Amino acid sequence: MVEGRSHPPLQPGDPRLIMRWAQRYAKSRTISFLVQWVFIVLMLSGIGLMTAIAQMAQQTGNGALFNTIVFLMGFSIVLLVWFSISPWGGEVIWRITQWLYGKEGYVASEDDQGPSSWWVNVSFGGLIIYHVVLGLLISFEKLPVDSLHFWSALYMVPFLMIMIVYQHLGFWAWIWPVCYGLHAAGAYLGYIPMIQGQWQLANSIIPALGYGFVAMVAGHLYSRFALYKLRSLARASMPANPDASDDDEGGA
Amino acid sequence: MSGLDKLIHEPARLQILSILSGVGVADFNFLCSTLSLTKGNLSSHMDKLEKAGFVVVKKTTVGKVSHTEFSITALGREALAEYWQNLDAIRNIQIEDTQTSTPPVLDE
Repeated sequence: MVEGRSHPPLQPGDPRLIMRWAQRYAKSRTISFLVQWVFIVLMLSGIGLMTAIAQMAQQTGNGALFNTIVFLMGFSIVLLVWFSISPWGGEVIWRITQWLYGKEGYVASEDDQGPSSWWVNVSFGGLIIYHVVLGLLISFEKLPVDSLHFWSALYMVPFLMIMIVYQHLGFWAWIWPVCYGLHAAGAYLGYIPMIQGQWQLANSIIPALGYGFVAMVAGHLYSRFALYKLRSLARASMPANPDASDDDEGGA
Repeated sequence: MSGLDKLIHEPARLQILSILSGVGVADFNFLCSTLSLTKGNLSSHMDKLEKAGFVVVKKTTVGKVSHTEFSITALGREALAEYWQNLDAIRNIQIEDTQTSTPPVLDE
């Protein structure tokens, strides 16, 4: 295939550049990334909140509250796993996409087509369960709350990297796992100041939320640039009045 | 070397196929807005490409809104690749002709 992924050098003005910029645009639309980001932020926020309440319940000897929180953690696992694999979840994502990108139309990269592979669902489910287990270990005071970011990064960084490679996302997507991982390593080694006291959980939630958000903004800005390039190339290689142009088979 | 496929050589259709070969799926609105084509013009081009077996059309209805998506077929990719090959061959011949042709010697 001439216009494959190898990207041979093309002269300026070559119509094949349209294909390349269309591909870059499709891969920079950050909606699929946004959904993963929202999931992870909700998950970490929910686990953080439940962990804090569970710790408080254990310290005050409130067994009923502690058991309720543990039950809620289990329920949240089921809810998140169900949403990630159900057709309803897919429709919600599609509606969000239409709402955000309605004016410029719908485009999906080839890698977004079809249902996710089983290992994607399993590893995503694993991510949720792993973090809930971390939350439980912190609730039972088996792990210090400050170590949540480090342990979270051990799963989330390779998970995000695999997802980026699997979905063929652009360079911007790497901002999230790379910065999250470096931040975790820096915090673990004591190079990054940590928030103390009742807001300790922010040490994990802020990097997860912040770097994901920065990556999405970078991706969104790149998609604007890719769309501008695509439209410029299309207009430059189109006759002055496209509606009047057609071949010898008859007009439009 | 066979000639250039006339169906693909038309600028709007070449652009449509180029975009579809770069993405998995594009809808009617995206192609209209990106290529600055009217709905009627785009429909006409897509009809020809569909009849040639170069694209597939998927029509769905979400609520009261109908949604039309297009994707390129394996035959369409093959035809587009062949088109580029032929176009490159023509360009190469032109370049070779320009390089080998000796400038006329002028008598002093």
